[in-house]
Order: sequence, then structure tokens, then C-alpha cells
Amino acid sequence: MNGRVFDTTMTSRSSGFELELAAETDNVPLVRHALRGLLEASGVPEERIADISLAVTEACANAVLHAYPHSRGQFEAAAELSPAGELVVTVRDYGSGMAPRVDSPGLGVGLPVMAAIADALEIDTPGGSGTVVRMTFEVAGSAS
Amino acid sequence: MVILQAVSGIVVERAEPGVEVIIVTGEHDISTAPELERRLEAALDSGHAVVIDLLGTTFIDSTVLRVLICAREQASERSVGFRCALGETTGHGVRRLLELTGMAGRLQAVPTRADAIAGAVAPGHA
Repeated sequence: MNGRVFDTTMTSRSSGFELELAAETDNVPLVRHALRGLLEASGVPEERIADISLAVTEACANAVLHAYPHSRGQFEAAAELSPAGELVVTVRDYGSGMAPRVDSPGLGVGLPVMAAIADALEIDTPGGSGTVVRMTFEVAGSAS
Repeated sequence: MVILQAVSGIVVERAEPGVEVIIVTGEHDISTAPELERRLEAALDSGHAVVIDLLGTTFIDSTVLRVLICAREQASERSVGFRCALGETTGHGVRRLLELTGMAGRLQAVPTRADAIAGAVAPGHA
């Protein structure tokens, strides 16, 4: 009917992971926990992990809330940590874009929170199909 | 103390007559915000003062923050006593979200559960 495939798939390496998930709220913590595992294993300080977890959770919540208001869909979250300590997190959906919702359960603060925490934030709507949020975080040298 | 209801990471206690304490522990986000909202609505409907204990909360996202702020606003509208307990044991991610959004003041936060209970039952709270 609506093309539900939505088996969760995860590819994981020591330097990152890729997750493909149904755009459902229960899957948002999975991304955060995968990210935490990656950053803890890399010795990133706890406070920085908490900040990055917040930014990435907001990005995933946007994908789940805004991409598919009238249907079910999927989203992808990928993280890659370079040897130089640059973390790139990409959250992608294939939905209708970040259209405002009058019934939005958010506060409208997700994007400002992401922008405040990430060292770089890019939002793209490739070919009008879905939204790609790409956040870069410097995590090297943040230990003090 | 009577534990009224418990689900994962959300416990509702009758700490003393006239006060319902919602203890929020661990991580909460868009996946648990609806359940928290139901618990808070039920507590507000009880007519008792409401305290939200965030001392063991390690993480919240903006959907949870919205639920907390709505609860506070509803408490004000109904003249129901309301406080949040938010202190040093509250997770960094929680305090960071409040700092970034500038909404800490809207939660009527005090540093201990005892302060929160006392503040919520005090006359002229609302």
C-alpha cells in the first residue's frame, strides 16, 4: 500500500555507522545511542557527547515529525569520525521537507539548538525530495 | 509515600497529601514525551499541586521541554501549585537545552525536591 519496507539496517565501523530506520519516534533514541557508543569509544568528553546527542536528536525528531505528515516513511542517520577529530553526522529523509505543522509537537527550537551546537550546519533539499541535514562537530582537543 | 504509577523512567508519587511528584529519570525525547504528557495531565487533573523532579534526568529534547512548559502554563491557568526540581545531578544535556532556549525561567525551577514541594504547596504560588 504505502511501500512499508522499514527493516532496520545498521552498518557499523570503528569510525562511524549508517542506520536506516522507519521514521517513527521510537527509533530516535537508537540513533542517539549508536552515536554515544561511537563517541565514548573515541574518548570524547561527556559534556561534548551530551551536546552532540542533543543536536542529533533534534535533527532526527525533525525527520520523524515533519517529513511524513500523512504517510509512513524512512530516515537515515550516518556518522563518520575522522582521525583528525571531525565528526560529520548526516540525517536524511525522503519526505515532504520541513514544512511547519500547526499541530507540531515541537517548540520550534530544534534548528536553533542544532545551529548553536554544531560547528557547521547545512540543510539541503536535493531535487525537492526530502531533506538532508549535515552537521559537523569538532571533537578533537575538546578534552580539558 | 505512595507510588501511584510507574513506567519506564517516569514515576508518579504522592509525596505528601496534596502533592503529586512526577520523577523523571534517564533519557526522554520524542519517543517518551507523549507518555510524560499523559502523566502530567493526569496529575494536573487530580487537583493536587504538581512537582516535576528532574534531578535524575540525564537527557531531554525540545519535545519534552515543550511538554514541561505546557504543564507549567496549565498549572498557572488553573492556579495549581507547580515547581520543577533541577539541580547539579540533572544531566548536562538538560541544562544545556534550557540554556540554549532561554526557557529555564519558565519552569519555576528550584534546586531540590524538598524546595519544589514546599514551593508548590505554598499559598500564593501561582
